[in-house]
Amino acid sequence: MSVRARPTSPHLQIYRWTITMTMSIFHRATGIANYAGMALLAIWLVAAALDQEALNLVNVIYGSWFGQIVLFGFTWSLVHHMVGGLRHWVWDFAVMMEPGQRELMAWATIAASVIITLLIWTAFVWMA
Amino acid sequence: MRETPITRDMIADPKTHYGDAKASTRHFITQRVTGLINVLFLGLLLFVVVRLAGQDRADMISVVGNFWIGVPLAVLIAIAAVHMRNGMRDTLEDYFAGSMYRLTMLLNTLFCLIVGLAGAGAVLKIVFWG
Repeated sequence: MSVRARPTSPHLQIYRWTITMTMSIFHRATGIANYAGMALLAIWLVAAALDQEALNLVNVIYGSWFGQIVLFGFTWSLVHHMVGGLRHWVWDFAVMMEPGQRELMAWATIAASVIITLLIWTAFVWMA
Repeated sequence: MRETPITRDMIADPKTHYGDAKASTRHFITQRVTGLINVLFLGLLLFVVVRLAGQDRADMISVVGNFWIGVPLAVLIAIAAVHMRNGMRDTLEDYFAGSMYRLTMLLNTLFCLIVGLAGAGAVLKIVFWG
């Protein structure tokens, strides 16, 4: 009897794409983005501590269209990581883990992060 | 925390006690506590950035230079740096092992130290020396 060779381990692409897995990837990606983004905050604060000239340079770069796109992305990244972190905190109490509940929380995470980010920029940048 | 990759034999044998129970528990709790404190950090950061984005040094000093804004901001930046190092450690553990893990962890510690000290230091300089 001959036995055909069988796959020993499924590759990542064999799995059905799920919202919980997407939010897990987003949580790590936004964490890394926030890690890098904190340097932007440090640069701004150091420039302010140094002198007006350095602060002017930072203000020009951060105020440019490219700087504004980066800061908008940084805002969403921070908010998303915060909401995702709160979701993990809820899970620490061993609740909201059942099928349906975890998908609901995952969808709520992305919805909340987008809405909060848009509210922040609408209230404090676009309408200000 | 890990220097060698986990093998099947290590997992199969309960006597290996792979991993560090105390350090890993501390890592877990530290990440939760600093993460919750970071919610306060984002609130203060939003206030400071909305008030001061694009403003002059004099405006920065009048707001960040306030003791009750500047000192909490500096402390929260330092706590965020701890959260950054802890979180990046989780990521590095997933992709590196051995000497490469030690090297990336060293760079991680250096980056978080520099960002934390520069950020908190700049705020404290503004608070105490203008």
